[in-house]
Amino acid sequence: MSLPILPTTVVGSYSMPGWLERLKTEFFARRISRQELDEIHDSAVKAAIKDQEVCGLDIITDGELRRDNMIDYFAERLPGLQTDHTNKKFYYDFYDWVVRGKIPMASLRLADDFRFLSQFTDHGTKFCVTGPHSLVKRIKDEHYKNEQAFATDLARVMNMELKELARAGARFIQIDEPYYSGFPEDFQWGVKVLNTLVEGVDAKIALHVCYGNRYGKPSWAGNYKYLFPAILEANVQQVTLEFARRGGEDLELFKEFPNKLELGVGVIDVKTHEVETPEIVAERIRKALKFVPAERVFVLPDCGCLHLPQEVAFAKLRTMVQGTKIVRKELGA
Amino acid sequence: MILHVNHIPPKQTALAASVASALVTAAGEGQVPPRILENLNVHLDWLQYKTNFREALTLRRAIKGEEILPWIEVGVDLRQVRPDQLKDEFVNALNDAVDPAAGARKRVYLEPFAPVRSGIIWRFNNLFWQHLPLWETAAGHGFEKSLPGGTSDANHPEAVADAVADFWTLLKDLEGHNQLPQEIFALEIGVGTGQRAAAWLDRFRALDKERGTQYYPRIRFLLADYSMPTLNRALEAVKEHRELASFLAVDALDPFKSLSFLRYKVLSIHLTNVYDNLPTDEIVVREGKLYFVEARAYVPAATAARISEAFGIPPAEFVRTVTRLLEVGPTHLHHANVEQGVTFWRSVWDAIRLEERLISIQSILDAPLPAGVKPTLLENFVGDGVMNQRFHLSSGALESFLNTMPLLHPRGYLQVQDIFVTKLEDYGKLFRGPGKMDGSIVNWVNGALLAEVGARAGYDVHFAPFHYREGSRTSMLYTTHRE
Repeated sequence: MSLPILPTTVVGSYSMPGWLERLKTEFFARRISRQELDEIHDSAVKAAIKDQEVCGLDIITDGELRRDNMIDYFAERLPGLQTDHTNKKFYYDFYDWVVRGKIPMASLRLADDFRFLSQFTDHGTKFCVTGPHSLVKRIKDEHYKNEQAFATDLARVMNMELKELARAGARFIQIDEPYYSGFPEDFQWGVKVLNTLVEGVDAKIALHVCYGNRYGKPSWAGNYKYLFPAILEANVQQVTLEFARRGGEDLELFKEFPNKLELGVGVIDVKTHEVETPEIVAERIRKALKFVPAERVFVLPDCGCLHLPQEVAFAKLRTMVQGTKIVRKELGA
Repeated sequence: MILHVNHIPPKQTALAASVASALVTAAGEGQVPPRILENLNVHLDWLQYKTNFREALTLRRAIKGEEILPWIEVGVDLRQVRPDQLKDEFVNALNDAVDPAAGARKRVYLEPFAPVRSGIIWRFNNLFWQHLPLWETAAGHGFEKSLPGGTSDANHPEAVADAVADFWTLLKDLEGHNQLPQEIFALEIGVGTGQRAAAWLDRFRALDKERGTQYYPRIRFLLADYSMPTLNRALEAVKEHRELASFLAVDALDPFKSLSFLRYKVLSIHLTNVYDNLPTDEIVVREGKLYFVEARAYVPAATAARISEAFGIPPAEFVRTVTRLLEVGPTHLHHANVEQGVTFWRSVWDAIRLEERLISIQSILDAPLPAGVKPTLLENFVGDGVMNQRFHLSSGALESFLNTMPLLHPRGYLQVQDIFVTKLEDYGKLFRGPGKMDGSIVNWVNGALLAEVGARAGYDVHFAPFHYREGSRTSMLYTTHRE
């Protein structure tokens, strides 16, 4: 489908309702069944889709509401990873994962999630996948010689899944790699891992790098300078970065290192419940347009809306769309 | 009648035995109606605080909606009880249960029933910090003299030196990763006399010089307190570091409200003896059923009459004069005589007691929850196994914690030195407050609940005993980021 200039989207997750948090925890306490939880997830995803459509987003996701967190949803699908399933109390906690042997090739069944999403919307869609670097940082390695070798093997297995997603119709896939901001020195080899991950995948690839959003707070501080110039070697078409909370100073990097990347510019601060005004959103977009041409700019929040209350997430996305329309009008679109 | 013997110090077991014997005798003499005896629970306690809000015998009724439930509780404070009067007082207290109006005539109430955290005693607490110098002059000593050991553990030189060394190490590590901010923010909330801040800055300057780093000039040390007299005193204490220090009027319940410009920027936040002085509610579990505590402050009628006479106040004007004290402060209570106003304040505070009632609730979610705390955090806190317990919600401490954490830099940490109950079952081992500490209030802090709330907010909360002073009951709360 054709997109307007400055397409609007989310980074991935939508607000997790309190009732769903409670029901997920009920599942861990064995008080509801897997089948019941699946049905609950289906309903929650449909509601998230509807909310995004009503907000006026051009590209939507499934809200990632099936996922307990960005690690476990993938780790439990990767064959060969082990965990003691008693080691978390609350659904959002991480399991303690360990790898003790080479990871075999296997389907991660992510395409089912994409098919569900595409079945319930005629909007543009995006599917988000946690990248190998972030997974490696949360899985204890007792087999591979080093993190790069482990991440490369994960990328090899996940590459097959990305191809499966593309075959299922996913035209836009986002790789989430926030842990680079905590371990910037890894990015040099991280680019090679990224290229292994996306090799031969017939879809637009975006790389999302933020400063963490665990429990709705940043995990690291610093700047995006470490991404350049290495990112120019990555086979990705878009990079989505956090600018609303941190300010737009790092936009200068797009001038300092000329490139053809699309920029997903974060214009909504997801770490505060204060709802931005459309004018503030417009101003943040205008700032980005000083460094990247409009035809290569996508508009989105800094990171996922997972930790925002539903009414706040909804209001913020709506404002984001309104602010974008102001700038589109200025551009004569 | 069921007798509960709670937290009795070993030296008081003989007293507890004689009190128990007297109570059983009184119950057996037929002076208490059988219907009351059937529903009667007597709790023997040794109240840790010499001055507190209870009388020797305290009657507590349970309420459900408009209905008074048959359940009756009598608390006996072994510290205050006089064995020769016990039997009469016990029978009288139970008669008051039958005829509440008779009991009410013995008291001058200062307010209607309300959740504990909303009570008038917290206005007295506020008055204390706003007019601290007046109270100290009248008392003849600084407020820290009332602390165990007569001084604040926060100022212990070794503790300060270790804290500074840890902070320097953090800065060095950040610098190694090229992540050290140009301005290094450190925040102390509840500054006391300012001695800790002064000692911290002295030590940091010395360490910085000794190790040849240039961090000291980049320090921005923020001293925050809601009491201007306290801030003024602290200003004097840190005058050697005046260029690096800022003094801010901050509500400890919501530091973020004043300091939001420092969101995710503060590398070290420290609080000492702040949480134990913040408003709290209490939850009671009896035979597995939940209640929250409502209270109303009163002064025994005889004492109110005595105070009124001493200050030339018509007895009917007593409550109005107390209200006026809280509104205008002791300075303006008697235009010509500040001392008179302070003495009245101290007399009333000394006499204030709390009458409690237990409000039946279906689940802990029906209690007045601390602002910002999601119900899901609390619903699993009281497990099925808890049958009889009384504990603090530490409402103010939880609010303060949640409203402080957004200030922390991703690599920063919060340290809180205070009296913490780190396991729910430990509430049964000692009376945890409220007590009176000079003109202020002290409560132990529900560290177990704080840890639970912290975990859900993305922080691991650890407690370590304060090992720098033998016999100290304070602990250090440390936070680390939770992945």
